[in-house]
Parts: sequence; structure tokens; C-alpha cells
Amino acid sequence: MCLAIPMQIESVDGFMARCQAKGIYRDVSLFMMQDELPRIGDYVMVHVGYAIQKVTEADAQSAWELFDQILEETG
Amino acid sequence: MSQPAHTARDWLEKLRDLNFNQPIRIMNVCGGHERSITQAGLRGTLPANVELIPGPGCPVCVCPEEDIYQAIQLAQHEKVILVAFGDMLRVPVNVAKGEVRSLDEAKAAGADVRPIASPSEAKQIALQNPDKTVVFFAAGFETTTAPVAAMLAEGVPDNLYILLSGRLTWPAVAMLLDSGKPGFDALVAPGHVSTVMGPEEWQFVVQQHKLPAAVAGFSPESLLAAFYSVLRQLQSGERFLDNCYPEVAHPGGNPTARRLLEQTLDVVDANWRGIGIIPGSGYALKPAFSAHDARLRFPDFNDKARRRAGQMPPGCDCAQVVLGKIYPNQCRLFGAACTPRHPIGPCMVSDEGACRIWWAGGVRERAEAAVE
Repeated sequence: MCLAIPMQIESVDGFMARCQAKGIYRDVSLFMMQDELPRIGDYVMVHVGYAIQKVTEADAQSAWELFDQILEETG
Repeated sequence: MSQPAHTARDWLEKLRDLNFNQPIRIMNVCGGHERSITQAGLRGTLPANVELIPGPGCPVCVCPEEDIYQAIQLAQHEKVILVAFGDMLRVPVNVAKGEVRSLDEAKAAGADVRPIASPSEAKQIALQNPDKTVVFFAAGFETTTAPVAAMLAEGVPDNLYILLSGRLTWPAVAMLLDSGKPGFDALVAPGHVSTVMGPEEWQFVVQQHKLPAAVAGFSPESLLAAFYSVLRQLQSGERFLDNCYPEVAHPGGNPTARRLLEQTLDVVDANWRGIGIIPGSGYALKPAFSAHDARLRFPDFNDKARRRAGQMPPGCDCAQVVLGKIYPNQCRLFGAACTPRHPIGPCMVSDEGACRIWWAGGVRERAEAAVE
């Protein structure tokens, strides 16, 4: 359950953000990011539907590549 | 102390150059780490004398059997909508043959049991069913419990109750170290627990126990960097807490998450399945949230006379696996009676369980049990 996936914020409504990762969309809570609220276009690590930390685009990309590799290997 | 960018190949070369001779055991305490290690085949790439040991990194595996039993009874007898993270649904409890032994079986028998992927979904289900009672059975480590705290702080519907089995990771490592027989020489600390709570939480390993420790992310590069860091520390005699996941695990962690945890939950002594009580290792709802505490709202269905209540199933060595005392394939049931299709112990059920991860990684044969 500690798997966190980086997602990009596409829109924000209050503390809820519409986020996207490789074409998959999810509603993500920004409630735990109140000390450093991310903006549209930012990347966040998402764990069980909550953003837990901001990440850079480069770090998001390399995490996505890693997931692709794992999915390929595990089929 | 972040590391400069290196490829996995660079790290492997640096690791081989260390030229270690004595046996070294590096423990990880995160199912995500163990999955990356196993899937990337990192064990096979390290020098033969370096052992990578999966430790207490699976919250489903240590969730008290009594709590799962209670959740099953609530779903069956209190006519609630029982929601839980998907991993919890297949964990068997110890009941007589023919009785309902998991939340999945309760669902098949007609109970309203629903898997969820986020605490927000529990809230949504409660809002959509105002005339029903919803119980969120929430097991998890800090990374998962912080979102539960956020959900509580944000406000929850009157008909939503939490059966909380949240656990803190570091007290289990402290217990192993305090036992005098920890079974490891260095620690790779969990990346996302550190993201939420701050890497500093692991400083005690270095300061009090003089063992090297490094926070790692989930890529082979980050894990290899952490292995290199702790091995180099062992060789040089230096001791410090390294951070090989600095891009995500920041000093101090996530301040909002930590504040929300403090506002809504108390840290309490807590039971770990098959292991026992570990001081200060669990979360409980603060009195201000008692109106949403399933433990106060419903009768306790646990009957002390139930055979093997609280224990692992007969023959199952999950407790030893969780503590890193044996490898998954040294369990007496691994791959024979216990497989992902017909799991007996929780370590074979959860995606973060070491047995399940090893099986998925292609380990199918039992090994001889280790001599402690």
C-alpha cells in the first residue's frame, strides 16, 4: 500500500485536483499539501488518493519509466 | 548527503570495488523496496556475501487477526457497509472449517464488503448511503494512516466509522535492535514513510545502535546507492543516516501530514500479528473523534475462547518472515500449502508481503530452514 505514483495536476477545485499519469485520470486530494500547495501543471507523488509530496517533471518521468519496466516484466 | 547521478551499472561497479569479505546483512522494511529488489534481480547482482533481508514492511501482514475477525463480524452481523483496502479482503482468520474466514468470503455470503483504493472513497460511499452505517477498516503504515488522518481532519459524515489498525514502522525496527539479536548489520529505510514523517525518524539506528542506515527510493539506482552507502559506512567505520531519495524524502517530511496525524490520532502500544505488543507502534483515534471510532461504536466480537485467536495460521511462519528471521521460502508452507491462489498466511496475500513478492519473482521452491 506504500506504492506512490507521480501524477500531473490538470485542474484544481478546492483541495481536490484532477490529476493525470500517462493518460490515466484520478481525483487527488491536496489536503496534505497545505504547507506548500501545488499548482496546475505541477507533479505530485500520489498515495492512496492523496498527494504526499511535490516532485520535479524529470523525477516524475523517471518513476513512470520504472513502472513501465516493472509492468513489462510482470506482464 | 545526496549522491551524484549514477546509473545502476555505475553503482554495481562501485559495490564490487568495495571488496567485502565478511557476511553482511542489509534489512529493508518496505514492501515496495522488496518488490523492486526482487523484480530487478538485485540480489543476484550483489557480492555473494551481501544478504538483502526483507523485514517488517507489510502492514497487512502484521494487522492483528482479531481486527480482521472483528471486521468480518461487523460486515456480517451489524449489517454495515464494510470498506477496506483491497489487500485486506483475502487475509484469512483462524476459524473452524465451514465458517467465514475472510472479508471476501463474507462478501460471497452476502455481506456488503467493498474494496477501496483511497480514504476519500470511504467518505464518498458514506455520503452516497446516508441511511446506512459505513465502517472503514483502515490498516496501514504511516504513509497510509496520514491520509486517514487528513480525511478525519477534513470532516467525515456522521455515518462513517473507522476501525483503525494503523502502525508506525520504526518501533518494529527499534524492537529488533533492542532485542540484542536484530539479525541485520545495516538498514535501508523506507522512502515514502520518510517522505511523510521525515528521514530523521531513522536517526536512532545510527545514533543509538551505531548501525549504518540510508533512506532509499524505489528505482534500482536509488536502492543500489543505499546499499553502497551502508556498505561503505561499514567498511570505513563512519556512521551517518544517508538519504538516497532526496528528491522526494525531504528533511522534516511533509509538515501538513505530520500535523494532521498529531491533531487526529494518538500513538499507542499496539499488537502486531504473531509478534505481540510493540510499545508506541500504533495509532488510535483521539477522543475528539470518538464519535467515529468503530471500536467504541460496536460490540467487540472477539471471543478469547476462539482457537488460535490473534495467531498466525497453524504451520505458517509469517511472523518469522516479517521479522526477517527467515526468508519467505524457508517457511514450512511456502509454495506447497501456501500459494497466492490459496494463501494461508498474510505474507502470501498482500502485494507487499515478502512471500507473495518472492513467488511473483519466480521463487517457487522451498529452501532449507536457516539455522539461527
